[in-house]
Amino acid sequence: MPLVAFTVGLAMVLMLRKIAARLQRRIGPPFLQPVYDIVKLYSKDTQISHGMIHEMGIIMAVGGYIAAETLLPVPGMDGLADKGGIVTLTYLLMIPQLGLALGVGQCANPNGSIGISRALTAMLAYDIPFILVVFGMSWSYGTTNLAEMIAIQQQAGMQSWGIIQMPLLALAGLMVLPAMLGKQPFEIYVAPAEIATGPMVEMGGKFMGGLFVMQCFQLYTVGVLYTTLFLGGGENWLSFLFKIFVVVAIPMSIAFMFPRYRTEDMLRLMWKWPVLVGLLGLAVVMIQV
Amino acid sequence: MTQELNVWLDKILGDIENVKIERKRSNRLRVDVDARALPAVLELLQGRASYVHLSAISCVDRIDDDEFELVYHVWSYEARSLVSAHTRIPRDPGVYLSIYDLYVPAAFFERDIHEMFGVYFEGSPDMGKFILTEWDGPPPMRKDFDSEKFVNETFNREQYHPQWLKDLEKEGGGITTPAEDARK
Amino acid sequence: MSKNKTLTKKDQMQQDKAQDGQQMLVDFTRPRTNPMANVFDGLVRFCQSRSMFMLHYCTGCGAIELPPAMTSRFDMERLGIQPMVTPRQADILLITGYVSVKTLKRIILTYEQMAAPKYVIGICSCTVNGGMYWQSYATAKVLREYLPVDIYIAGCMPRPEAIIEGLQVLMDDIKTGRAENWKRYFQNYDYYLGNQQKLFGDHWQTPTDIISEARHYDLITENTLGKHTALLEKHQAPLQALEMTLQQNRERV
Repeated sequence: MPLVAFTVGLAMVLMLRKIAARLQRRIGPPFLQPVYDIVKLYSKDTQISHGMIHEMGIIMAVGGYIAAETLLPVPGMDGLADKGGIVTLTYLLMIPQLGLALGVGQCANPNGSIGISRALTAMLAYDIPFILVVFGMSWSYGTTNLAEMIAIQQQAGMQSWGIIQMPLLALAGLMVLPAMLGKQPFEIYVAPAEIATGPMVEMGGKFMGGLFVMQCFQLYTVGVLYTTLFLGGGENWLSFLFKIFVVVAIPMSIAFMFPRYRTEDMLRLMWKWPVLVGLLGLAVVMIQV
Repeated sequence: MTQELNVWLDKILGDIENVKIERKRSNRLRVDVDARALPAVLELLQGRASYVHLSAISCVDRIDDDEFELVYHVWSYEARSLVSAHTRIPRDPGVYLSIYDLYVPAAFFERDIHEMFGVYFEGSPDMGKFILTEWDGPPPMRKDFDSEKFVNETFNREQYHPQWLKDLEKEGGGITTPAEDARK
Repeated sequence: MSKNKTLTKKDQMQQDKAQDGQQMLVDFTRPRTNPMANVFDGLVRFCQSRSMFMLHYCTGCGAIELPPAMTSRFDMERLGIQPMVTPRQADILLITGYVSVKTLKRIILTYEQMAAPKYVIGICSCTVNGGMYWQSYATAKVLREYLPVDIYIAGCMPRPEAIIEGLQVLMDDIKTGRAENWKRYFQNYDYYLGNQQKLFGDHWQTPTDIISEARHYDLITENTLGKHTALLEKHQAPLQALEMTLQQNRERV
């Protein structure tokens, strides 16, 4: 499953860059560009490492996502989805950021430290509405098992999809998406011109390659998770892929309309609107049940 | 009101000895003043005539007269006019008084002039290196410093004279005039 | 008359350069016996040529030609060229315009922090020969003496088409394995360090220890060490972490 995730993630990276290029009236990168980038980054002749923890951090970041992939059900392959459940998955999704924080910590680059402190604050910001959404969906379906959730949603076609049943929670989830992906307007922790890509500032060569791989996984995970919770998972590979690509394309398409939020504004925004909508949705769910 | 102030200013300045006043435009005044009287003139302009903004201090190397010309540009927001106070100091030893106590921004201009022309300002807070931190030669903006000679002694030049350029020159194109000839 | 004079000077300088052995490049690549290894190398080189992250060190006016080259008009991303913001992530160092002595220090620090294979592109006439600052006391003239430059894109300033064409030449060089100038920096470090010391003084030291890196990556030659590196080793201080403090009014060192 991680292999599937990686391949799909590569295609998603390509799609994101193509969308960005089209929005800016450019042609955009060639088809295999993400592969070229990763091969190039791993084939650097000299590497600059800042020590054990620096390397461990990247391994944690990538490893956390690989572990998360095994818990995500895809058509025909449930993996550990019916054993792990969404709570474990939520925990696993925090590991990459923490790993990154560890790695950046050893680089001792002030830009990196600023970046990672912002990234962790951002995680704090989006995790509260995210947990609300997860909790609401689990309450509604009466299970934390992702495979069962899909089964429930696939019983009566589109009518039983999470997005129809619980539109408020779906809306809150949609608001959280750009923050989870680190896209505009919530990319203050990257901020290339100001803090030189923040956490990535000291990452060259294989470290950067690791982060590129991580990005593929990240896009895939977020896409699949949203699809599983709200869009009824995938009946077959075609509809599954279509759904996750649409989910990832939405935040990217609207990303370029926004400037950036500052960290505290982002925190305020994230704790206000998605939380409000999420709580309302939760109330509706609890009353219905 | 502006006109009034200007007239009044002309009158006041006219009272000081050794001051030559030349009004170029209604908002532009050139004052030629003796080096000893300059701080007094600036104090007067700042304290009594609202010229609170020091725009720049510029320096000109009058090597033929063996003098440095210092020009203090002060601006008044109320009168909306600029006064340029010119003064001359001998090139050797090239020491003058700082006006840091009148105008705080003068510290930067004086430091810059010290670096570029080697004029030492007594009473300026910092006469250390400012922009040319890598430089330890003579002050480079002095007229007696030959930049081109220095460059020729210090740096190599890229020698790129390929066949296509030679062919072009044979036909009368390319840049064939050496720098020495171009200057004539 | 004067032309003859400059010509003789030129010849002499060319002879000096030949003696410096600047152009020498010792090939340390291991001979490949496995035919698959060659295929693999070719594949890697192809990927390297198609994915170039550039760090544009915008020293001068040439930088103004880069935004049109990157954005919708000319779109460098078609060729896999992207801007990056830190030297650690970048492959190409674009030096766009005149290089003052003060800037040159920063350029060298930046260059040494990049991960190899790394390429230097000098854009504008100023990097070739000082350009219109040819008689300026503060401008370093020939960039090639301080860093191994892969490609010069001359012009004042070169148009985006010229920049992209230059980058394509570099891509071809990478693809065929000719763009290995970064090795030259390790292999002839004494020459480059000597030129740097001439400008910055004998106490010039960068945070990156090039000599041990050359030793580590097996790129050391008889030209790596010399009298200039001996001078460096005499006063070389080990790198120390910066003191971190939250005090508002720090004493200036």
